[in-house]
Amino acid sequence: MTEPEPAPQADYSEDGVDLTLIRWMLSLTPAERLQFLHRHVNAILTIRELNAAK
Amino acid sequence: MPQSDLPAALRALSEGGVEFVVVGGLAAVLNGAPVNTFDLDIVPARNEENISRLLRVLDGLDAVYRMQRERRLKPNASHLSSPGHHNLITNCGPLDVLGTIGRGLGYEDLLPHTTEMEVGGGVRVQVLDLAMIVALKEELAGEKDLAVLPILRRTLEEKRRGGG
Repeated sequence: MTEPEPAPQADYSEDGVDLTLIRWMLSLTPAERLQFLHRHVNAILTIRELNAAK
Repeated sequence: MPQSDLPAALRALSEGGVEFVVVGGLAAVLNGAPVNTFDLDIVPARNEENISRLLRVLDGLDAVYRMQRERRLKPNASHLSSPGHHNLITNCGPLDVLGTIGRGLGYEDLLPHTTEMEVGGGVRVQVLDLAMIVALKEELAGEKDLAVLPILRRTLEEKRRGGG
């Protein structure tokens, strides 16, 4: 007898939160999360600076 | 040249022997919440020795108050011993030193609600647990807190399901 297939996980919560993004973040270590945030913040600040200079 | 260096700020605090808890947006990110933040919020132990260590690190980071930045007002021991909030700018980016958070919770109150995390390069810091972050934001219920709460609550649920 085969095991029943687990129910597929929802991609979004009822209040619209992207659960795939949460699962991806949770798959990282805290150090990787910090590095991602560090790169992300600096990319945003660089874009802001480039546009402020125009 | 980076305009913000959260890892370097954490390293400086850790290597300077400062006892502190990471709170706020960065604590949420370190716990796995996909939210954005531009500053580092910490609650330090406010005993004399730790404030001295913190001041040494802040001096090394060229920390001054963000308000009226041109005056280059540096925090001192008396400022940092208070339960108030000190919004600083450093050569690693914005750093908020919070004497207390929520309803007057200081370092010793928060410590039982933290997890030690390795954040790269062997640096280990105490990070406020996600359940406590959610509880504090529910209590504060400001617009900014309410906006991020759904993401924090779902992250907490996923973690409790064993997701990370």
